[in-house]
Amino acid sequence: MSNPSFLDPATLMAIRNLELRARSVVEGFWHGLHRSPYHGFSVEFTEYRPYAPGDDPRYLDWKLVGRTDRYFIKKFEDETNLRCQLLVDVSRSMTFGSRGYTKAEYARTLAATLGWFLSQQGDATGLMTFDSTVREYLPARHRPGHLRQLMLALEKPSEGRATDLTTPLKRIAELTRKRGLTVLISDLLAPLDELETSLGLLTASGHEVVIFQVLDPAELDFSFSTAARFEDLETGRDLFIDPATARADYQRRLAEHLTAVKAIAQRLGLTHTQIDTAQPLELALFDFLKIRANRGKIVRRKAA
Amino acid sequence: MNFLAPLFFLGALAVAGPIIFHLIRRTTREVTPFSTLMFLQPSPPRITKRSRLENFWLLLLRCLVLGLIAAAFSRPFFRESMHSPLAAAGEGHRRVLLIDTSASQRRENLWAELKNKVAARIEAAAPADEIALIAFDRTPREVLGFEEWRRARPEERRALAAQRLSLLAPGWAGTQLDQALLRAAEMLEHTDRADAPALREIVVFSDLQEGAHVDALQGYVWPQHLSVSLEPLAAKQTENAGLAWLPETEQQTGTAKSEATPIRLRVTNAAGAQHEQFKLQWRAGDKTVGTDFDAYVPAGKARVIRVPQPPAGADRVVLSGDDTAFDNTTYVLPPQPARIPVLFLGQDEDEDPRGLLYYLHRAFPSTGQQQVQLTAHRSAEAVPGFLQQTAQFIVVGDRPSDAALDSVRPIIEGGHLALVPFDSPEASGKAARLLGVPALTVSEAAVRDYAMLAKIDFQHPFFSAFADPRFSDFTKIHFWKHRRIDLAGLKDARTLASFDSGDPALVQVPLGRGSVILLATTWRPADSQLALSSKFLPLLQAMLDQSSHFAPVQAQYFVGDEIALPESTTPLTVRTPSGREVPATGPRFAATDEPGIYQVTPGTLRFVVNLPAEESRTQPLTTERFSALGVPLTQNAKATAEQRAREARAQAAEIENRQKIWRWLLLATLLLVAAETLLAGRLTRASATPAPTA
Repeated sequence: MSNPSFLDPATLMAIRNLELRARSVVEGFWHGLHRSPYHGFSVEFTEYRPYAPGDDPRYLDWKLVGRTDRYFIKKFEDETNLRCQLLVDVSRSMTFGSRGYTKAEYARTLAATLGWFLSQQGDATGLMTFDSTVREYLPARHRPGHLRQLMLALEKPSEGRATDLTTPLKRIAELTRKRGLTVLISDLLAPLDELETSLGLLTASGHEVVIFQVLDPAELDFSFSTAARFEDLETGRDLFIDPATARADYQRRLAEHLTAVKAIAQRLGLTHTQIDTAQPLELALFDFLKIRANRGKIVRRKAA
Repeated sequence: MNFLAPLFFLGALAVAGPIIFHLIRRTTREVTPFSTLMFLQPSPPRITKRSRLENFWLLLLRCLVLGLIAAAFSRPFFRESMHSPLAAAGEGHRRVLLIDTSASQRRENLWAELKNKVAARIEAAAPADEIALIAFDRTPREVLGFEEWRRARPEERRALAAQRLSLLAPGWAGTQLDQALLRAAEMLEHTDRADAPALREIVVFSDLQEGAHVDALQGYVWPQHLSVSLEPLAAKQTENAGLAWLPETEQQTGTAKSEATPIRLRVTNAAGAQHEQFKLQWRAGDKTVGTDFDAYVPAGKARVIRVPQPPAGADRVVLSGDDTAFDNTTYVLPPQPARIPVLFLGQDEDEDPRGLLYYLHRAFPSTGQQQVQLTAHRSAEAVPGFLQQTAQFIVVGDRPSDAALDSVRPIIEGGHLALVPFDSPEASGKAARLLGVPALTVSEAAVRDYAMLAKIDFQHPFFSAFADPRFSDFTKIHFWKHRRIDLAGLKDARTLASFDSGDPALVQVPLGRGSVILLATTWRPADSQLALSSKFLPLLQAMLDQSSHFAPVQAQYFVGDEIALPESTTPLTVRTPSGREVPATGPRFAATDEPGIYQVTPGTLRFVVNLPAEESRTQPLTTERFSALGVPLTQNAKATAEQRAREARAQAAEIENRQKIWRWLLLATLLLVAAETLLAGRLTRASATPAPTA
């Protein structure tokens, strides 16, 4: 997975400023990409509608007035073509990290990178951080300074312990009326009972959903050597675990869980990407764009 | 090795702390945070590893530190023979057994109970003990002293004490518990032997009745190492009504004393008593005389009941209706006035108001206290022998015979007074004869209008009654005539009063043990207004009191009182109520050991001895009362043991304070703590050097 042209995540995480981090990733990405395969996010003219008193005269189509002497409002210029909502899990389970940085840091950097990237393209980007409840919420916008606010919101430390995926998903479904893209960045290490329903709610309202499941390599292969008391970061519960004996069982059960997540994604027709934190962020970005391209085709195909 | 506070050793249990911590550290050394335990099953812990203690030396140091601190706090000391005042003195107890023999001990079977208790206490005496017995009622009496106890052979001591105890019996006197306690305390304190037992104890065997006197204990500083233990004897019947005769006081006895003056009897009833209705009966011996009288006395109250004079022969009143009988009889004897013979020498007629005798007859009225028998001796012969014997006061009128004057001289020399009024300058002859001086220069004074008494010696008993300014005005008494007496020839003559002219009016001239009073005038109306003045009677009475040697007769005495007996040339015998004849050895009779009427023979003097009224208050005293008075009480043997333990503790504390081993222990602790710090530091550094796992 290591690619010399990409930034090593550990080096990247050493950059304290989240915005700078995101910019490094995106710029490196541009350099490596040479050309963007995606021109589809252009401005789309939506509609004319007759001027009604109270409408902002700025949005009058003066050319049309000149031509036809009729007042029409041209509705497209104030909004971008894509509204992306980033959902970042900041619960305690995300504070685990075996490589010198935590999953949360990785997830934040990923979110910041996406935000930066989308904003570079002129897309509206929103943010919602959550643990057991919704912590921060920024509606999707494309305005000067909005990106900065987004970065600040991402950098805020979280206090919650547990992970509750249901509430934020339900909430985002309520808040974003307009169809758009929803990116969920989480480790998804929580019971999956309601996950399908909540995600179903989003997809049913026409949102595109992309899931980045961030996992630490230690979580995947359970590479502990000494027997110790393992403390659950979310519940505080601890168990005496001898990794040698517990490893096989753990891996089996984790695999079951991941399969279940994948199955849900499959069923709901949403994109699920599993990233381990040792992976360079550029790859994740690349995955994202690839998914977007495919997805766009699929959606169009489906829509057609 | 002993410990002053061994309980602190429980603190050593704290060593469990480090041990547990060392074990726990073992199990909790590595806590690995992990994102979720969703996929993990607990592995069984490995017992073999956990049971092994890590850092054994560190643990040992910590345990030692805790153990030493606990040891220091428990204040260890090495027992050493300490020279204490207690240890030096002999073993055993020095004990005074106070045995109450007051009248209230006659109730029920209190006495038998008391004897049993005392006997048990004597029987329980250890060989090293010393025991003294003091019986007390009104006064403490030593029944068996410490000396006697010690002198007796050890195996015979108890028998001796028991024998002495068997001789005791309750009397009729009141209870002076305070005096008995003080006497016992003195007895215990004053020992000249160094080996006398150090533990000193007074054991009081008494019914501890409320009527017992304890007031003298107030403020008494009790000797150290002395304790008082009470062995109260509880009577089943605490309800008791007491009866006391209240004789008329002097003020109440008027001259016009009629036969109907009621006898006052006070009936007191115990607080909380059920009985309130009592009966009073006059008795002559055991026979009831006359009618009963009812007395209603509520509980806790006292009532004065007036009953008529006793019927003929009756000498006591008996109360019935209460539970306790010992104090239900009070003896009543109407007071008899003292008969005082007064001798008048002269020719005056009894009913001649111009003379002296007429006024003398009226100057000594009969009272409840005294009855003056004035005898006029007019004949030329000597005074009859019986009068010479009994005459208490002599008044020399006009023209007494020389024989009579000579015969009364011994009376005066025996300690009586003779009053000689000077009715004329010729009276100097009789005065001179009486005084035994060759001649007395007396002349008629020249009085213009009248003379008055001017300089009066109010310090003298004759005039002391007038010393108060309200009564000291003698100017209303006018003297028409008086004589001037030249005192030059009279040795030791003392002028008690003078006329305003400076001439002596009343002069006392000693004669033998008695004295002759010279009055420079008379009380005849022709001479002065003296007889008519209010001063006359008190003045003569004062002279009579000075002259007569009759002690005032008390209406009633209490058991144990000493009684003054009249002077007599023949030996007197006192007949007690129980019929005993006790010869009177001195002027006072002290063997009033039972209530009743005592008769003095020869003569007709009788006196009443009653039970003290206090003795009827039979309700028990509380121990709080003794505590309040500062009596060092030990309630029972347990308390004594506690005291002993306390003393032992104090001694141990002193030894420990001197040795101060705890300081060394603390020093060792500090050293160990330093060692522990070093060792722990080194171990931490050693464990920090290797790279962490995972």
